[in-house]
Amino acid sequence: MKPKVAFFDFASCEGCQLEVINLEEKIIDLIDVVEIVSFREAMKEHSDEYDIAFIEGSIQRPMDEERLKKIRGNAKILVALGACACIGGVNKLRNEWSVDNVKEEVYGDADIEGNKLFDAFPTKAINEVVDVDFYIPGCPINKVEFAKVVSHLAIGKTPQLPNYPVCVECKKNENICVFELGKFCLGPVTRAGCNAICPQFQDGCEGCRGFLEDPKMEAQKDVLRKYGIRLDDMMKRFNMFNYKKGVY
Amino acid sequence: MSKREWLDFVDRLINEDEMEVIGVRAKGSKFQFAPIDSSEELRLDYNVTILPPKKQLLPPHEDLMTYDISKPFNVLSSKDEGKKILIGVHPYDVIAIQQMDEIYLGTHRDEHYDARRKNTLIIASDILNVPERSFSGSLGTHVVEDGFDLLITDLGDMVAVTIGTKEGEELLNTFAEPGEATDEDEMKVKRLRDELPAKYQRKLKVDKYQWEKLLEENYDHPIWEENSKKCLTCGSCTLVCPTCFCYDVEDVMNINMKEGKRVRTWDGCLLRDFTLVAGGEVFREDLKDRYRHRYYRKGLFLPMRNGFVACVGCGRCATQCLPDIADPCDVINTLASYSMHEKVNFPIPDVKQAGIEEGLLVPEPATIVKKERMTELETLYEIKLDSGKELGHKPGQFIELSIFGIGEAPISVSSSPGGMTFELLVRRIGHVTNKLESLEVGEKIGIRGPFGNGFDVKDLEGKDILFVSGGCGLAPTRSLINYVMEHRDDFGRVTILYGCKDPKAILFDRDLRSWGDVKDVTVKRTVDSCPDGECWDGDVGLITTLIPPLDMDPENTIGIVVGPPIMYKFVIKELKAKKIPDDNIIVSLERRMKCGVGKCGHCQMNGIYVCLEGPVFKYNDVKDIPEAF
Repeated sequence: MKPKVAFFDFASCEGCQLEVINLEEKIIDLIDVVEIVSFREAMKEHSDEYDIAFIEGSIQRPMDEERLKKIRGNAKILVALGACACIGGVNKLRNEWSVDNVKEEVYGDADIEGNKLFDAFPTKAINEVVDVDFYIPGCPINKVEFAKVVSHLAIGKTPQLPNYPVCVECKKNENICVFELGKFCLGPVTRAGCNAICPQFQDGCEGCRGFLEDPKMEAQKDVLRKYGIRLDDMMKRFNMFNYKKGVY
Repeated sequence: MSKREWLDFVDRLINEDEMEVIGVRAKGSKFQFAPIDSSEELRLDYNVTILPPKKQLLPPHEDLMTYDISKPFNVLSSKDEGKKILIGVHPYDVIAIQQMDEIYLGTHRDEHYDARRKNTLIIASDILNVPERSFSGSLGTHVVEDGFDLLITDLGDMVAVTIGTKEGEELLNTFAEPGEATDEDEMKVKRLRDELPAKYQRKLKVDKYQWEKLLEENYDHPIWEENSKKCLTCGSCTLVCPTCFCYDVEDVMNINMKEGKRVRTWDGCLLRDFTLVAGGEVFREDLKDRYRHRYYRKGLFLPMRNGFVACVGCGRCATQCLPDIADPCDVINTLASYSMHEKVNFPIPDVKQAGIEEGLLVPEPATIVKKERMTELETLYEIKLDSGKELGHKPGQFIELSIFGIGEAPISVSSSPGGMTFELLVRRIGHVTNKLESLEVGEKIGIRGPFGNGFDVKDLEGKDILFVSGGCGLAPTRSLINYVMEHRDDFGRVTILYGCKDPKAILFDRDLRSWGDVKDVTVKRTVDSCPDGECWDGDVGLITTLIPPLDMDPENTIGIVVGPPIMYKFVIKELKAKKIPDDNIIVSLERRMKCGVGKCGHCQMNGIYVCLEGPVFKYNDVKDIPEAF
């Protein structure tokens, strides 16, 4: 029997689900292998009976937490889809300020008191709420990697993310190192799997796939210093997708 | 020929449908080897390309085979046999390709590389602009005498051509009408080459024949630790190297879950997972060791194995390394200035093996004929090759077991040689072994091998044999024990010590008991601990506790030790206490044996390939190898 698959979204741009739809004709192959029972961005039908749940987005409110826990209860396998779900992503930037400050900045004088839709807490990645079985990182995800994870799950092989930095993919693609173009790059500390898409287009890596298990941060900072990057610019870049309270 | 004639020659080659012309062209402010559409794109004035022309012979991603898993065993080797001409290859890269040929076309010839190499013509070019970080002038790799089909020297208005091979000459005469070079032309070429070394900014303080000695004497030099602290562990130095040849292999399925392919990709020893085995152990975990390994491999281990320094001084690693710690010229010069003079030997055991002629990477079909669950984690499989042939293994050898769509895993053979089937004891610990558990009797798997150096049974004849096995270590040992039992009269007293975690983890218990019934065979079983209520009639305690009480003739006893990595040190200490000479101890070691044929690089312990010189070693041969125990 084909495994039943459902997609869910929380605080996100839904761009990762869009990447799944961008598989285009390969989707036909995909539904030969799995049965999609819930995918708001692509279809009307919905079912709470599924084996694999793909979660896009980060967690902002108690009601999100509740919903996510319910999904976890229904799913045999739960997969985080994209930077927001995997590491909190850009949504975590707001954790630099208190929730009250953020609400005031965003909603001003609007009357949101007591409305649970606005009952926010500091942003959480989904693994801060439930157990996550597998991750498909990136902003947005790499649809090729998505297809690979699905095929691994279908054939019974544990999906594994590359445990090497983006530099490896840059070299294999014979990209010119963006440092040589006078730009700066987090590729040396960021998990590969994106096929070095940003450096391929002469842009520095922003770390959207999250850092490696054992990133050489000090070596990376030395390199950034060597190329004349100021500390605050460095921290802005580190924090963009990988926000951390305090200093990296 | 004149410049115009040269350009016409190139254009005629480009217009030829039969072959693809790959030349050096600009990529932004850099250069790369890529298909060219016109001779105007060719940049013979380049300094160095980002990636070496190696990528045309061993591409960063390469399909080794395709398969269809909806059918029982449907595998097709993929071979790229398109004709190619590389134009503009600098001498250092020509020499690097000669080294690659040595590796891939030597013992255990790689058919995928061979197909590409056979169909590639090389038009080399003398260096006009010396790359900033290159030190090939100090290695003598700035000029080249062979290894090309044609070698051209751009003299401005003229292009001089040196003929390297018959194929090159034929190409030249088919597509151009070259005139005879005058003495003056030859003088110009000679002058250009002679003047090159002086143009290098970077120079080695020692010649290449001294690299080996310098490295032997500086294994614990502070430079390894100091530089590795700055290392990003990004692997760039190995990935841009024209002589690095290590690779990884991965199975990739189409999303329809029917067709898939096995893909070879570049790998490098700086990356952490390079030495990772199923089960989680990383054999070169410390970044200092990985950083150092690259230099030792290039400057000592490969020279020991092949007779050449595996660095051609192109300077690509130095150019790409952001912290600038990857430059062999800097490191060798530092060692030359501050040598520690503490000699460490890295002997490589001399093992003679016949080259595998066919099916080096493509597995042959085999069928599971029997499956017996041994413990919660381990299952014994009986396998038959579909060809009807015997596996032809020696005790202690291993095979690579394939499940298409998942991958390959090295498994040692547990049965004695001979017979139409063979046995594999498999612990469920990784992708392949987990998937194997779901296969039923009658289903197909792929087999490559047997590989490696097994036990030399002739050497053991007439001797008393003491087997010491821990856990899964009994799997390869059993193949030898069975052989000894089948030829009982050829050997002296036999003692078999087996230890495992607890009674539930015991392997081959039936065999252990039946071996104990044979004349002059002693079997002792022990468990590290026995939980309350568990039924157990053997000893309790670590395997080392079984050794001191033994009565033996140490000079005539051979100790055969196989077990988890932690076990060796302690067991060998006990054997030494019993006065067994080091020469009489044999071990079998585990590393990440991925290719089985000494190419992919994952299983190396310093200069030794465990898949070639091992997994069975004389203890004496490896006891001083720093990465062995």
